[in-house]
Amino acid sequence: MSAFASTLNHSVIPLGMLPESVRAVCCRLDSLTCEPDDMLSPREREQWTQMRAVEKRRQEWLLGRCAAKSAVRMLAEKLLLKEIEIIPDAYGCPRVAGGPVISIAHSQGVAVALAAIGGRSERPTQAKGLPHNLLVGVDLESLHHRREDFESVAFHSDERSLLDTLLPDLRQEWALRMWCAKEAVGKALGRGLSAGLLAFRIHHLNPATGAIEVELHDGALQHFPHLRGQLLSVNTARASEFVFSAIIYQQGAVRMRPSRQEILDYLLHKMGELTQDWDYPDPVRPESLLFTELGFESLDAVVLCTAIQEHYQTPMPFAELLAEIGQQQRDLSIDELTGFVHTHLNGSSGAESATGRLQ
Amino acid sequence: MPVMTDSEVFEKFAQIVAKSLRIDASQVSLDTHLTDLGAESLDLIEITMETESQFHIFLPDKSILETAVEVFGPDVLERDGYLTEEGKRLLLRRMPETDAEAFAGEVAVKDLQHYFLKVSTWVRMIQGLAQFTPAACEVCGGSMGASMGFRMKCANCGHEITLRSGEELNREWAREYYDKEFRPVTVVQ
Repeated sequence: MSAFASTLNHSVIPLGMLPESVRAVCCRLDSLTCEPDDMLSPREREQWTQMRAVEKRRQEWLLGRCAAKSAVRMLAEKLLLKEIEIIPDAYGCPRVAGGPVISIAHSQGVAVALAAIGGRSERPTQAKGLPHNLLVGVDLESLHHRREDFESVAFHSDERSLLDTLLPDLRQEWALRMWCAKEAVGKALGRGLSAGLLAFRIHHLNPATGAIEVELHDGALQHFPHLRGQLLSVNTARASEFVFSAIIYQQGAVRMRPSRQEILDYLLHKMGELTQDWDYPDPVRPESLLFTELGFESLDAVVLCTAIQEHYQTPMPFAELLAEIGQQQRDLSIDELTGFVHTHLNGSSGAESATGRLQ
Repeated sequence: MPVMTDSEVFEKFAQIVAKSLRIDASQVSLDTHLTDLGAESLDLIEITMETESQFHIFLPDKSILETAVEVFGPDVLERDGYLTEEGKRLLLRRMPETDAEAFAGEVAVKDLQHYFLKVSTWVRMIQGLAQFTPAACEVCGGSMGASMGFRMKCANCGHEITLRSGEELNREWAREYYDKEFRPVTVVQ
């Protein structure tokens, strides 16, 4: 490694479940100790020379390039940073020709970059509007750089309601995490937040894991209509005075093995969402029975099953499951449904009966 | 609000930018770009909020191109990251101060950031929106002052109005352009 290795940190954000066969590296860089000539290609050098920005921005631009090239080098086995050329595409997104997909962010003298490679897609061609099948986005913000009242501009009232559920001490940090999550999704999709801040809507946040789910609305859906109703999961983390966000998304991919607990959390959240106007005396629990206890009808079950398949981007034999429990004249608990989803996401074959996997 | 000259709007906006970015106002000129001055995403939000507060206007949260694309539909004004000829016509019509040569040849969407984040573009946008902020009350002629949110209130009779948003005005303009200048052309073709 070169002289700047000591300032690189490769474990900035827990990247969570990666799409199958995807490799990813996230690098944080706090200071630059190599010269521009040692890391920039001739075209990049020209871009750098022509940049009219203030020195702070010019330095952060270099820092970001260096972090990205370091991440790419770890994935693509190139020896010299200057051999890795990063050129913006027509929308301004940084691209490495023929190399990993990347995303870069910098703020307050710190840069972070995410690079990913590989992946398997079930779709032969990329979806309309998306620059690649494999998309990455990263962002960071300083907690010291927070602007008073930015929530009123940056967030929809529904999003501010999510912040209201947090302890007051956590609000500032999570407002920034939510902001970073929006930025990361905008970068991953290749057009930033140009469709408007409220077109990237925070749908759910999990303070225990740092995960934030973002849903597209309005103008963003015009660019990416196939993402309607999909929740894009962003990982966020805090390190001292900075918060970071990262998303790795593969169109049509099966994400690797969510844990049983993660599936249960999702199902409980989804149930709460689907039944928010229903009048239950008790909160929905893992033991709650869908039909006799929660009052589900067959159409409600279909809506739930469809939502689960869309969320995990994986078809599952729900029709058989519902038919079998009907024949057996029994009910289905959320916990059993969790087990069913967990089993299918872990790739079991269809040799046994659908309900047999519940046991 | 009282009519402000170009230079008055610029000077007031330059002060807002300088304060937000903690730089000297002399560094802000009409042809500088906010990001080149070191503005990050949250700085742009602060500049937006402060501009709205000081000029009593309601800035759009996306560019005129984005709004127009929503009105025109995909691939009409911009395709694969590049402006179409129709997109160039629309932007030149909307930003007449822009040098037409800047839109010659291939124009990438990323290059438009230079226009949308240019200080002169913001000054023009502020002046355009300020026309919709009344200085005098339509009921009694009293002076209007800021009220809650994007509302103005008459100091004399208490009459309140809601400011028109930049997004709403942009959308109206794009629809009018679509109806009067784009659709007739496409019908003839």
